[in-house]
Amino acid sequence: MNLYEYEAKSIFAQFGITLPPGARITKPEELRKIHFGFPLTLKCQVLSGGRGKAGGIKFAKDLKEGEELAKNLLELTIGGSKTESLLVEPKVSIARELYLAVTLDRTHGCPIFIGSAEGGIEIESSENVVTLPIPYPFHPYVARDLAKKLGLKGSLLLKVADVATKLYRAFEALDLDLAEINPLVVTTGEDVLALDGKITVNDDALGRQELFKGWQSKHLVDLSDRECRSTMMGLNLVELDGDIGILCNGAGLTMATMDMVKKFGGQPATFLDVGGGSDQEKTLFALEIVNENPNVKVILLNILGGITACDDVAGALVNFMKKNPETKLVVRLRGNNQDVAEKMLAQSGLKLIPDLQSAVKEAVQQSKTPVGAKA
Amino acid sequence: MILVNKDTKILVQGATGKMGASHTKRMLAYGSKLVAGVTPGKGGDTVHGLPVFDTVNEAVEKTGATCSVIFVPPYLALDAGCEAIDAGLDLVVLITEGIPPQDTAKLVAQAKAKGVKLVGPNCPGVITPSETLIGILPGVIFKSGPVGMISRSGTLTYEIALVLSDAGHGQSTCVGVGGDPIKGMGYPELLRAFNDDPATEVIVLIGEIGGTAEEEAAAFIKEHVKKPVVAYIAGQTAPPGKRMGHAGAIISGGKGTAETKMKALTDAGASVATTPNEVVEMVSKARAQLARK
Repeated sequence: MNLYEYEAKSIFAQFGITLPPGARITKPEELRKIHFGFPLTLKCQVLSGGRGKAGGIKFAKDLKEGEELAKNLLELTIGGSKTESLLVEPKVSIARELYLAVTLDRTHGCPIFIGSAEGGIEIESSENVVTLPIPYPFHPYVARDLAKKLGLKGSLLLKVADVATKLYRAFEALDLDLAEINPLVVTTGEDVLALDGKITVNDDALGRQELFKGWQSKHLVDLSDRECRSTMMGLNLVELDGDIGILCNGAGLTMATMDMVKKFGGQPATFLDVGGGSDQEKTLFALEIVNENPNVKVILLNILGGITACDDVAGALVNFMKKNPETKLVVRLRGNNQDVAEKMLAQSGLKLIPDLQSAVKEAVQQSKTPVGAKA
Repeated sequence: MILVNKDTKILVQGATGKMGASHTKRMLAYGSKLVAGVTPGKGGDTVHGLPVFDTVNEAVEKTGATCSVIFVPPYLALDAGCEAIDAGLDLVVLITEGIPPQDTAKLVAQAKAKGVKLVGPNCPGVITPSETLIGILPGVIFKSGPVGMISRSGTLTYEIALVLSDAGHGQSTCVGVGGDPIKGMGYPELLRAFNDDPATEVIVLIGEIGGTAEEEAAAFIKEHVKKPVVAYIAGQTAPPGKRMGHAGAIISGGKGTAETKMKALTDAGASVATTPNEVVEMVSKARAQLARK
């Protein structure tokens, strides 16, 4: 779950990281009540990246200009994400900028610090990046090692190491996947401030983090309505541009099925992993949500049962076909209680295809048959 | 075969839970040598005829188990995993899905410090066909033979094992390393084990998009693996920036694409298939070549 900048900053503040003063506004006239003076920075609160380039950050020299800019910014949509509110901050006099982040590193299998002596950058494309694995349990010396590697000295080394330590504490305590300050600025008065920040919370940890209870539905804005509803049901749906609705159990098999559909000339409309051990209710929901997509001409259901019982899947299919007799279905079902499932489905007139490659080819062919025609 | 055989003594953590109990039954039916269940507070009970202990230490002391398979809920997995690691087991197989990755990172660090092999999390387990099944794999699909399999996926492993078995290519051992970004054993250590295993002729590596583990595997293959490797990468047509089911299956910042992985593996001398059926063709070819030597 990605957080808005203002939410990330409130977490930084809770862990003792110094911020510039700021206020969140949802109406232009709220600018009149702001207790710090002009010039101001107005920043769109969106969950997508590339905000600066998309014109989502503006400077206002006075109230009149501020209100005008605020009105426009509040209506801005960036990368498909609507502006939720504006964060207003006084313009800071910057002596230098740094980059600081904590994230999990797959290769090392542990958290790492990422730092750069230049801030406000695209970290992926930057040359001057320092990374440092963080041993468990954490001690602040690792943060000092990082500051040293960034070429810092004296009181600045200590101040930056202190911010890095606090950033790690937040990362660990709140189960974050990413805690990033970009830029971390050193003001002309030698204060170290988190000017902008990004936090990604680990989705699997949401159930044990009190702070984020009830936040999830508000933060799924980059997903389609159907993708959101699937997420809330514990299913992983990704919508694509084609016309074959793919529904499978297990991520790897779903991806492989999608790849095969493309290879044999079809176009996937959905990637839906129903997971292991899916019950009837969940399978029926999955079938319905794929069927809701108006682009879907044929549904390819591929279940290879390890945990999943085929008769449960068949039960869901029978129900689905009663409600949606027009929907074209190609079903590959293999695993536990397969014989029971076959009998149940034979009664409904649905024939199972035992091998995957034949099922994929059949689905591709049916997607090319005009709607209404018998396959 | 690697890691496990018919004599491996196994205890089940979370054996009295719904999932743990049903898979305990299946593993017993397969012939796996289960010796104990562990559920805190249920010591003295039995599950499918197995004695249940309160602690792993007690179970190890009483039964001589050397391997644990873990079915506990995600937020209890760090504790259960550390209990298994600290009890001095050789191998810990962590089936649980949805463990917060920072917990996994702590577990991986602990396993490394104690020299314990950790497989998973979010994995189907390990099977040496006809000998032992540790985890949730459907035993009936796997046949005994000379193909060693390493995979990041569950059901895709079953799919490929199914077409391999049907074509007469049984498996020495199949290891599901799991679909999470942070995990225990990875490709290099398992490639090494299969390369050294006299019962394995051909190695099948089943990867997927996300991360750079397949690129690292390719580098390892080039340097150390003498046996033929057939590789398959799932997600060849996955859109960037979307998480495809597994926590680790995501192309981010242009990194982790199937294309770069397939190229790295091809450059390292592996045969790279684009469908499960092509995996079978390539394994057939590799085995035919070995037979001619």
